[in-house]
Amino acid sequence: MNRIADVVVVGGGIIGCSVAYYLAKKGVKVIVIEKKKGLSFGASGANQGGCALQLFHPPVLELARPSLEIYRNLSQEIGYDVDYENTGSLVCSVDEEQYPDMQKHLEKKRRQGINVQLIEGDRLRELEPTLGGDVVAGVEEREGGIMNPFKVNYGFAYAARKLGTEFFLSREVKKIERDKDRITSVVTDREKIGTNFVVNAAGAWASQIGKMVGISIPVRPRRGQIIVTERLPLNKRWRYILDADYLTTAFDLAAVEKSEDPRIRLGVAGSYVQENTGNWTIGSSRDFADYTTRVTMQTIRYLAKRAARFMPKLKSVNSIRLFAGLRPFCYVDGLPILSRLNSPRNFVIATGHAGEGVTLAPITGKLISELITEKTTSISIDAFAFSRFKGLN
Amino acid sequence: MIPNDKSMRKRVHDIICRCEEITEREIRHAIRQFNLRTADEVKRLTRAGMGLCQGRTCALLVEKIISEETNRKVSEIFPSSTRPPVRPIKIEFLAKKEEKES
Repeated sequence: MNRIADVVVVGGGIIGCSVAYYLAKKGVKVIVIEKKKGLSFGASGANQGGCALQLFHPPVLELARPSLEIYRNLSQEIGYDVDYENTGSLVCSVDEEQYPDMQKHLEKKRRQGINVQLIEGDRLRELEPTLGGDVVAGVEEREGGIMNPFKVNYGFAYAARKLGTEFFLSREVKKIERDKDRITSVVTDREKIGTNFVVNAAGAWASQIGKMVGISIPVRPRRGQIIVTERLPLNKRWRYILDADYLTTAFDLAAVEKSEDPRIRLGVAGSYVQENTGNWTIGSSRDFADYTTRVTMQTIRYLAKRAARFMPKLKSVNSIRLFAGLRPFCYVDGLPILSRLNSPRNFVIATGHAGEGVTLAPITGKLISELITEKTTSISIDAFAFSRFKGLN
Repeated sequence: MIPNDKSMRKRVHDIICRCEEITEREIRHAIRQFNLRTADEVKRLTRAGMGLCQGRTCALLVEKIISEETNRKVSEIFPSSTRPPVRPIKIEFLAKKEEKES
């Protein structure tokens, strides 16, 4: 069967569906290809749906800010409630040793123009009674939030479908055909789709799609594991709560690999969200285990131990589900890749969002749609260009 | 919002997932709204099977509803993924130091 599209998006995760939506909104005919039986089966469906603006550094900060702006009205825009709540975030520390780092963090965030403040001692527990007595200091920020990542993913897909986007599920891309420096069609196990553009939004699998056009995309799967608890009465909504070690585990791969603490080497730093249903999700971890999505008891144990220290009340709470997902991690510099290639010149990459895919999905979709339809983007994406990997390609 | 056909008129207010109190109506509505094909997707969007029993009670009913909505046999419906733990387990127990594990 032969089909035609203006743009073929490879990957039905939160990034692919956002790209499809923003393109469809401009009247572009999009076909989304997803190899799994449904959407959101990679990192998009295996995360906590939290965004703490204070975790972002430039240049990604320049994307995170406008993306959060979009989230404020996203439910209205796409006609489906994604459960966005502007909770803000609190990065806190259980350790006097972490304290100088927290001061540094605070000053750095102020310089970056993020409205942060330091909260110390028992004042923290007045604001968030769930925090344990060990927590000594916290940096609070009010622009971040939490959202339901499945609903964002399916919400974008729902809105895109209404605008004419088609979703081909259970399809694997087998071949990308080209005529000199231009892609002409995408061949799946069921059809051939003639197209003017291909967007590689395959997440942790993006390098496999890259190979089909002869390029090496330096993205590999970085596993993250999560514990979900039973429902508890809904806490008075305060902040998305993170462990100060998150600043290291998520953003400093060299420090993680050098660390003598086995917990840090497994990338474990607390990340706690109580969903609007009352369930708590407990993250976060990072390790490389190829494409396996099994949980490991060692990591789960560190997650649980850390949670017991940050939030002692969770100790007597039941966990009902453990799971893992694969984040697309750019092993050269940890930054996203948002780029249109020179050759093939109609191949666009939108991946490498690591642990920030949910936060960055709306702005990524918007910018990629501009890149394809307008040639320039409203925010510079030069820092995310594929050309930065000169030695690799 | 709900199409007024035969399948929807009968017993749509029955609760399918007892843990999360999700009705047949909500499940059918989500399948139609989002073109869902798998039990995992139904779980994620409606929460049917996300509760304390993790779908041990409702998984087969959910699959039956998907099969009706998508005109396929139940055996063709991709089952919901099962995840540890088999029974709910306290966080402090998960946090306990390993006895022997290498």
